[in-house]
Amino acid sequence: MSGGDHLARTDQAALYHELTRSNLPATRRWFLVTGLLALVALWGAGCFIYMMKTGMGVTGLNRPVFWGSFISSFVFWIGLSHSGTLISAILRLTNATWRAPILRGAEAMTAFTLMVGGLFPLIHIGRNWRFYYMIPYPNSRQLWPNLRSPLMWDAVAINTYLLGSLTFLYFGMIPDLAIARDHATGWRKKFYAVLALGFRGSHGEWRRYHVASTIFAILIIPVAVSVHSIVGWDFAMAKVPGWHSTIFAPYFVTGAIFSGIAGVVLVMATLRKVYSLERVLTTVQFENLGKLLCMMSLLWGYFYFAEFLTVWYNRNPEEWEVFRSYGGHYLPLWLSMVVCNFVVPFPLLCMRRVRRSVPALCLVSLLVVAGMYAERFLIVVPSLARRNIPFIWHNYFPSWVEFSVLAGALAMFLLLYTVFAKLFPIMAVSDIQERLFQATDRTMGGATVETLAREGSGEGGHG
Amino acid sequence: MSGVVVIGLFEGVEKAAGAGDALRALPLPEEKITTISSVPLPDGAVCRDTRPIRFPRITLVGWFVGALAGFALALGTYLLYPLITGGKAIISVPPTLIVTYEVAMLGALIGTVVAGFREMGLMRFRKQIIHDPRIQEGKILVCATVEPGEQAQRAIEALSAAGGIDVRSEEGET
Repeated sequence: MSGGDHLARTDQAALYHELTRSNLPATRRWFLVTGLLALVALWGAGCFIYMMKTGMGVTGLNRPVFWGSFISSFVFWIGLSHSGTLISAILRLTNATWRAPILRGAEAMTAFTLMVGGLFPLIHIGRNWRFYYMIPYPNSRQLWPNLRSPLMWDAVAINTYLLGSLTFLYFGMIPDLAIARDHATGWRKKFYAVLALGFRGSHGEWRRYHVASTIFAILIIPVAVSVHSIVGWDFAMAKVPGWHSTIFAPYFVTGAIFSGIAGVVLVMATLRKVYSLERVLTTVQFENLGKLLCMMSLLWGYFYFAEFLTVWYNRNPEEWEVFRSYGGHYLPLWLSMVVCNFVVPFPLLCMRRVRRSVPALCLVSLLVVAGMYAERFLIVVPSLARRNIPFIWHNYFPSWVEFSVLAGALAMFLLLYTVFAKLFPIMAVSDIQERLFQATDRTMGGATVETLAREGSGEGGHG
Repeated sequence: MSGVVVIGLFEGVEKAAGAGDALRALPLPEEKITTISSVPLPDGAVCRDTRPIRFPRITLVGWFVGALAGFALALGTYLLYPLITGGKAIISVPPTLIVTYEVAMLGALIGTVVAGFREMGLMRFRKQIIHDPRIQEGKILVCATVEPGEQAQRAIEALSAAGGIDVRSEEGET
């Protein structure tokens, strides 16, 4: 937010309209895109119903690989969810001045990726209509979930994270809903008035809002870390070669943040392009996200190498067979993972030119997302495919039903996001206004630089 | 705070700060003066928030209630539905810690939302609250809760003298 075309020089009403372009009445193109996404999502849902009626035999799952693309997708989507709320919370706590334009988009991404990711265990369980067995409630069959199972920890953690993320998203949106209420007319005015809960922006309200936001940010960070640790423990607790590793929890968290940041870059670039938000989502945001992505690529490479080195040196036969399969049947996938997650992104992201170029950063992020999906697949499948004694070893490939469900899930995420962007302010309007309110230009010798006023602990005003 | 509220719109913080000073000079106590703005103003810029912020305590209470609920859920599960496995304890400590932790965090989040909403004074749909949508144009609404009659009149004069636009008195809550 610098340069000649300074946002601070835009009047507040014009700024509001610029930031809420996504809320303009739906165009034919919007309906076309939404309709297409709805069709794909419905196709995925239809295939899921077909699978439910016919049985799990329509998938590629077979002995010994009983966890396949659905569980890989579950880990992948939950990983993607780590971007938004976690990044948003960290940036809020550290008072990063560039954060405002990416907060809402990132938080919304978390909420919707969690919703989609949370569906996969339900899709995967086979007799899907008995999903309520996981819910602890007194029943005549004396059924009760086994809380010693990591899968139940997952259920508890993901529900906590989903509720927390939705609350974080909604709470952060209240001032913007109040702004939207004051600008809107017709049904939207009533809609925003109800959702804004009567927030007006009084001095006391703002002060409490900031304290609550800080508390939310403090609470949500350890929850986010715990969620992906637990997803890692889903695997690490099992005595399966390739899974039973102490490094899994931090490795999963790192991978989740890595893929999540890439997801945020893609979402932000799309919003920027579709809603012409170039003045708000500037190269500053993308460059900083690029730096984070670069660091996470390095960290991911470090973790992967540490895990690989231990197994390679030890040559424990069960584990080594899993790793050998990476060089055999799974070689294309393994190479994709290493190339997309480290070999290409790391050197490229070290270059400022790449980080500051939105298309280049998008391309790198797309590679990372693809590489991370490959990584999730390689964690889940080969360990099962090379489990136990060799005569039952069997390779797995997803069936068309699984591919359809995966496509439906992606379409569902995009559909939810598109509808959300249409109904709610996709940019954190009040945060951006606050940032601009604090900014002033200051002359330093021959240069004019932007300075930010910040409320400190010092006394101000009247005594 | 409800009653008669004198309000005036101001262009920019400096003018609003002048209005705050004028109201305090009447004299009006600090807790009777507030602002309504589209961006948060630093405490003390126009008025000070004298009410203590108490809801973080409720976050803590929520955390403890959640921890207790999570612990009870895990422990109750072991005792009511024991899984007897050779060589394994009925009550398992690490899973208990995990479930307790997650439910504790959920309790803290819920506690923050409920107490935060309550202390912010949200969801007062039936009450008449003071507001002016013109704050979205960058203006600042300075409000003072006053006694009807002479004090209200003096507050109106003070806000007008400080450069207030559309200075008026209304019945409602700030």
